[in-house]
Amino acid sequence: MNATHVMTRRLGLLAAGFAGLLALAACGSGFSGGGSTSAGGATGGSTAGGGSTAAGGGSLDVLIGSSGDAETNAVDDAVAAWSQQSGTQATVRNASNLVQELSQGFASGQPPDLFYASADQFEGYAANGSLFAYGDQLSAVSDFYPSLVSQFTFDGKLYCAPKDFSTLALIINTDDWTAAGLTDADVPTTWDQLATVAKKLTSNGRVGLAFSGEYARIGAFFAEAGGRMISEDGKTAVVASPENVQALTFVKDQINAGSFAFASAVGAGWGGEAFGTHKSSMTIEGNWIAGAMTHDYPDIKYRVVPLPAGPGGKGTLQFTNCWGIPTDSDQHDAAVSLVEFLTSTEQQLKFAQAFGVMPSVQSAAAGFKEQFPQFAAFVDSAGFAQNVVTAQGSSAVISDFNAQLESLASGDPQAILTSVQTNLQAALDQNRK
Amino acid sequence: MNADATPAVRRTRRRRRSVTQHNAAGWAFTLPMVVLVGLFVAVPVLMALWVSFSDWAGRGSPLAPSVQFVGVRNYDQLLLGGGLATSDLGTSLRNNLWYVIFVVPSQTVISLVLAVMVNRRLMRGKAFFRTAYYFPSVTSSVAITVLWLFLFSATGAINKVLGWVGWHGPNWFQDPSGVMHLLLGKLGVHTPPDALAGHGFLGTSWWQWLAGPSVAMTAFILMAVFTTSGTFMLLFLAALQSISQDIDEAAEVDGASPRQRFRLITVPMLRPTVTTVVTLGLIGCWQVFDQIYTGTQGGPGKTTQTPAYLSYDAAFNNQQWGRGAAVAFVLFAIIVVFTLFQRWLQRERPLPRRLRFYPTGVPR
Amino acid sequence: MTATTAQTTTAVAGATLAARRRPRRAGTVVIYALLTLVALVYIYPFLIQVATSFKSDAEAASDPLSLVPQTWTTAAYTRLFRYSDYPVWFRNSVLVTVLVTAGRVFIDSLAGYALARLRFRGRGLVFAFLVAIMAVPGVVLLIPKFLVINQLGMYNSFAGLVIPLIADAAGVFIMRSFFETIPPAVEEAARIDGAGTFRLWWSVILPMAVPSLVTIGILSFQGSWNELSHFIVASSDPQLTTLTKGVAQLASGALSSGSQYPLKLGAAAIMTIPVAVLFFVFQRRIMATSTGAVKE
Repeated sequence: MNATHVMTRRLGLLAAGFAGLLALAACGSGFSGGGSTSAGGATGGSTAGGGSTAAGGGSLDVLIGSSGDAETNAVDDAVAAWSQQSGTQATVRNASNLVQELSQGFASGQPPDLFYASADQFEGYAANGSLFAYGDQLSAVSDFYPSLVSQFTFDGKLYCAPKDFSTLALIINTDDWTAAGLTDADVPTTWDQLATVAKKLTSNGRVGLAFSGEYARIGAFFAEAGGRMISEDGKTAVVASPENVQALTFVKDQINAGSFAFASAVGAGWGGEAFGTHKSSMTIEGNWIAGAMTHDYPDIKYRVVPLPAGPGGKGTLQFTNCWGIPTDSDQHDAAVSLVEFLTSTEQQLKFAQAFGVMPSVQSAAAGFKEQFPQFAAFVDSAGFAQNVVTAQGSSAVISDFNAQLESLASGDPQAILTSVQTNLQAALDQNRK
Repeated sequence: MNADATPAVRRTRRRRRSVTQHNAAGWAFTLPMVVLVGLFVAVPVLMALWVSFSDWAGRGSPLAPSVQFVGVRNYDQLLLGGGLATSDLGTSLRNNLWYVIFVVPSQTVISLVLAVMVNRRLMRGKAFFRTAYYFPSVTSSVAITVLWLFLFSATGAINKVLGWVGWHGPNWFQDPSGVMHLLLGKLGVHTPPDALAGHGFLGTSWWQWLAGPSVAMTAFILMAVFTTSGTFMLLFLAALQSISQDIDEAAEVDGASPRQRFRLITVPMLRPTVTTVVTLGLIGCWQVFDQIYTGTQGGPGKTTQTPAYLSYDAAFNNQQWGRGAAVAFVLFAIIVVFTLFQRWLQRERPLPRRLRFYPTGVPR
Repeated sequence: MTATTAQTTTAVAGATLAARRRPRRAGTVVIYALLTLVALVYIYPFLIQVATSFKSDAEAASDPLSLVPQTWTTAAYTRLFRYSDYPVWFRNSVLVTVLVTAGRVFIDSLAGYALARLRFRGRGLVFAFLVAIMAVPGVVLLIPKFLVINQLGMYNSFAGLVIPLIADAAGVFIMRSFFETIPPAVEEAARIDGAGTFRLWWSVILPMAVPSLVTIGILSFQGSWNELSHFIVASSDPQLTTLTKGVAQLASGALSSGSQYPLKLGAAAIMTIPVAVLFFVFQRRIMATSTGAVKE
């Protein structure tokens, strides 16, 4: 009886010890507030218990949201080249859900050391201190296009380097074009011409023009009608302006006439897929379509022309991302060095070659036009391109806008735009508090 | 417990020693589970509660000193704010409500019918049928959702089958039109009266509330019935088998038709099982997440957005952690209310004399 | 039919019964037909799934109903195993599931036994605590489990995948209700022979509990193999992705370019095989346990 008594006691102590260890582990890493990870303006330094994957001076973790294999391979090659040069290891990961993984990274104190930060999420990250402002450490800041630099400036500081930019243009399937009896003279320069051409190109099983049913495409029509989403001073939402209503009504009418369609309605994930799988003869997409076409749909012959002008003149949308470096990383210097490499003129032209995006540095513009005369339309469109909405909190409003657009064919454009305006105004007001 | 017949003194001593022994052992045995459950269920609930009352923005620890208590601001914005947050909550609640309305009765009735049919005496191949109906329940919701995305695509198997009867099937997972709206449209009602369109609840107009599940949501409803009817069929089978055959035969001898026997004997005796099935169904239906994450991520047009997915989306995609936590607790409250309400509805009420069943066959 | 009817047979009763017997045969045929049709509806999708995984992308889109591909091709599986991380996902799922199942079986039976048979101070409290825990719906835990895993420094680690899943209050009650059926005499005898509580539990009680342990094992296996939301929040490292998360990404994430149905269906099919095998092997036991995993 004594021996078993002792054994039970021992077991009890063991169990208690186990529980104690667990509790110690808990106290050890987190409840103290995470040490340096939560300290507001702390630069680099060492991270607390649940720190980053690298152990100081180790390898860089690069997270990208690639548009396809072409882009992934290009980034891989570039980063590998830099690794050889600098002697620092780096791995590139393609995110399945970039926004979710970034937010998990920030919350856990283990963000990637370098990542794509899209313009619409940028303000949110900068505002809560997740981003490290390294604009002042870059050597060629003046070389970046000013409109891109302003997108990534928050509170007067340039937080990150714009990595490239793209504009939307009209992509036309040349075989379908000639088969429908159309010539160069028929390239649409007004909305009416666009409607006519789309109608001509619509045949059984194929729609004239298909594009993703989201603000990031329809916004081009707003620009062409002369409308914008936010007033020039950035304080008022003007989504429901008569120009925008006119634009949205035009799109709706064409959809109901059968010449336009949303990519999802023809069973494609995005405009490029609808175009590449020949479900449409035209699409509205940006530079990245070049990589997708070469890689995934090499049999389709196409040309790129600027979008037609609307009642308000020429207009299109411009997109850009930047290379974000998180505050909670201990690889700031290595990361900045990598960014310098990736935004250099030569490297940007290489990216342009691989997946067609346009360099964010002005010194590369001439080289781009020379190497890619077929993409001249994209570069030329930059002259009248509008930036997308990027105010903090706007991404939820845009998601809601996109959701409402799904029922555009039977919906009321005025009502949709009014609700988006209300929501956007609320977001803008929230930011000013 | 152990009623000893031993003398008092020895009894006391032994009991005291055995109580001490069991204390240490008892705690040693339960401590692992208590710690695990405490750490990963209890503490998270408390932490979520804290986050829902704080302004934590998604960086660093939520327990850091820089995180402020903001009272009910998150709940206020969510329930009374009237902006996007409120209408998102309203939309997701509407979607989930219609889901529950369609799924719970269907899965209960279908599983009951299947169980009754499979349970018949002299039935051959019982095992085969039971296996066939239960198999979908063991698969993961991710696998089934992937399969469903294929079957219900615009050119998929389901539309092919519908084509045989001349119906041009919709582009299921891309179609945001509400089923009720479609029905009303068939009856000629296309635009809502002002009373319905102008007013609403939680930022969603009454007309929107009446939209019914969207076509996309309907595909999910079918999937839910497909995957859960097997499990509930087993529950009913077990209950049916525990109903004594004697009672049934006695009633048969007395001249009761099969339908009467079913209605007056089987169904009342299945009552507790029905309650269990409905409760489990409710609790499960209000937490739909996996299928939405895998399949439609809340689209098309936010018609498959559920509160569970909204909570995840607000926190992980929009970095609105406080709002996400608040949505989760609102959902918690809803589940509790529904469960209690349903139990109250199905409480045992005394039947009028006339309808009571007397085992001896002689009404008194 | 039965003795009762034979005893009470009168001419009238006999005639009525005989009359009822005839339509019953026709009725039985109808019932069989109905049941078979429904069974077909339940099984056919899985047959389509397997068949489609052997078709080409184009054929899958153009001919979704046929069970026999015009041209058999294993291109989807090749792509799956060579060009994606599927083997890594499979390995992770296996590891996690085995560890979680072992953990749950062990810890559930420990706690279940203590609640059933050991008197100790605070037993009521522990019981009430576990009951309260069962009332918490999983959806509330999605966000905060992520936060707690962070705090404990388990984010992006195997421990973070496995340990939180071992917490399982329901299993404790299943074991407890089994242990309550064990006659106290057995324990008395063992104690008189000098066994301490742990030895008693390990060598005497546990072997008697094998059927229940198997039940818990099956439920745990199914539950952890099919778990999704926990894996989404517990890690973002691609090397720690499990099958459910990986296939979900294949279906919906940015990595799912184009509608490569054979690939996705093949991935889902392989993912289902282990639970299907488990199901067919332990059919009787699974279907006898009326609880089972509730899927919504």
